[in-house]
Amino acid sequence: MVSKELTILSDDGLHMRPAGELADAMGKYNCDVTIDYDGSSIDAKSIIQIMAACIKGRSKILIRCDGKDEEQALKEALKILD
Amino acid sequence: MLKGIGSSEGYGIGKVLIVKEQSLYFVPRSDCDPERELERYKKAVDEFCNKTKQVAEHLKEAVGEQEAGIINSHIVMIKDPYMNEEIEKLIQAGHCAESALASVCHKFSNMFSSAKDELTKQRAVDVHDIKNTVLSILLGAEETDISSAPENTILVAKDLTPSMTACINKDNISGIITETGGRTSHSAIIARAMEIPAVLSVENITGILSNGDTVIVNGSDGVIIQSPNEEQIEEYAKKRVDFIEERKALYEFVGRETTTADGIKLELLGNIRNTHDAVNVIECDGEGIGLFRTEFLFMGRSSAPDEEEQFEEYKRAAIIMKNKPVIIRTLDVGGDKAIPYLKIKKEDNYFLGCRGVRYCLKNKSMYKKQLRAIIRASAFGDVRILLPLVTSVDEVRQVRKMIQKIMDELSQKGVAYNKNLKVGVMMETSAACLVADLLAKEADFFSIGTNDLTQYIMCADRGNADVAYLCSTYNPAVIRSIKYIIECGKNAGIPVGMCGEAASDKYMIPLLISFGLDEFSVNGSSVLYTRKVISQWTKSQADEVAKLVSEADTEQEIVRILKENANKT
Repeated sequence: MVSKELTILSDDGLHMRPAGELADAMGKYNCDVTIDYDGSSIDAKSIIQIMAACIKGRSKILIRCDGKDEEQALKEALKILD
Repeated sequence: MLKGIGSSEGYGIGKVLIVKEQSLYFVPRSDCDPERELERYKKAVDEFCNKTKQVAEHLKEAVGEQEAGIINSHIVMIKDPYMNEEIEKLIQAGHCAESALASVCHKFSNMFSSAKDELTKQRAVDVHDIKNTVLSILLGAEETDISSAPENTILVAKDLTPSMTACINKDNISGIITETGGRTSHSAIIARAMEIPAVLSVENITGILSNGDTVIVNGSDGVIIQSPNEEQIEEYAKKRVDFIEERKALYEFVGRETTTADGIKLELLGNIRNTHDAVNVIECDGEGIGLFRTEFLFMGRSSAPDEEEQFEEYKRAAIIMKNKPVIIRTLDVGGDKAIPYLKIKKEDNYFLGCRGVRYCLKNKSMYKKQLRAIIRASAFGDVRILLPLVTSVDEVRQVRKMIQKIMDELSQKGVAYNKNLKVGVMMETSAACLVADLLAKEADFFSIGTNDLTQYIMCADRGNADVAYLCSTYNPAVIRSIKYIIECGKNAGIPVGMCGEAASDKYMIPLLISFGLDEFSVNGSSVLYTRKVISQWTKSQADEVAKLVSEADTEQEIVRILKENANKT
């Protein structure tokens, strides 16, 4: 498993467009991608779970990728969220 | 005449085409063949994705990347593994595709609408749109074909779905009327981007009008005229042509600096009620926010917004404006503004009562929350504070003291804010005007509110028809007051702005230029117009007009002088 902590830079938080982009991209990987935020674990392949989590701007999240192509998945997730 | 919300300016005349709402009725069944239903569902989703991609492409061209991005995320949503899992589970249990889709969407839509966060709440609408579109594919429901609508068609619908708007040919559609939505709804954004006049939220309009009816859509005032007579048609046809020509002429001013004909640079800001308006100010090319009327955040609800909610709203405005000025006027309420939970006492004379900064200083715990929220938001942009209805130096000092105390508290806690936060004074009472020189030493800037200033200088209630003739900015008393306030500001070296209607009045503008006003704050829709009028005057031409006006004795004479000279430029 690989993981990385990061801060959401967008002041509006992780909303529909970035959430959609992330879920869409992560769906292509053969590994589990999880976001830990505010005490809960969110499936990053699900736009609905990401949005329902209401991840606020400037908050810290932990991204975990676990599986075959975990390295690439983490790399792309960070690219989208940066 | 029917009223609604004017959501896209302009005038349209044409024949009604009612876009029928599709019947999405189905009989829920729970004895289906899972394999067959799953295949039906997958096929419908594929079709949905193809359709949505087309809509997104169209929106990208017609409106912009952002709208297209939102529609694109509908595709991600329908493919959501979590959602699909739930739907498949129901289908496997024998439910038909329609009822599996409807019940899962219903669940998610409820989940979003119960979220605390405003933006997340709005996503419920997206889930609803997705559900309806996929349902209509599953049911093979027929959509009214908008793309082949003849010239001069007025579209009338309960609501315009994204797929409908994608079929609009803007050369043929001369107006849009819907039963739901407001200025920030999807339909409104599309209508404005396509420059089609639109009036939204007209109750039961699909029942009132019939196909082929002639109607006039007045998107500027939010009004529909049913079966207009020939005179009205002629009147509005002319209005329409003038509007289109004027809009074209104003386009030249997009992206330009606001300068007089001889190159004096002025500031041109927008007045807003909430962050939606802030987006509109950007759309209209405003250079910042000159007046954020925060009382609108307090209206239409049962308790005051807390510090956190206010902070989020002010912060969002600051972020939207990206380091351009955001002048936030603190709560300006009085007996005339109905906000029951504020428990403002009934007063015989509420214009002379406990309102503006007086009310704020009497209700310090609430005021403190607002000031804290604004001060915290100052870390995110060029946020400034503006105090309403000031009459004395003492009021400004009291508020400054509160602000200093809040700043000290925030510093101790390590919360970020702008230490050089500017505090300005609304110049809108006779008392403030008479002590403008003293106030100029206390304030970082002035903002002249001409509507209240006129009423208080002329001693005439704006709402009283019998004295309405006195409520004119062109009165010598009002003009002298404005001139004096600007002079006092200049002498003290602080900028002076104006946020009343006079700031976008083509007759007043030369006087304001001559007096040396630094900043004009107008409604979003008047930004380009004001920039154009300012660009037509040189300082010396404006001075000439001001000189003539200073020699006039009456309001009528001043109006005559201003009108004559406005037509010369």
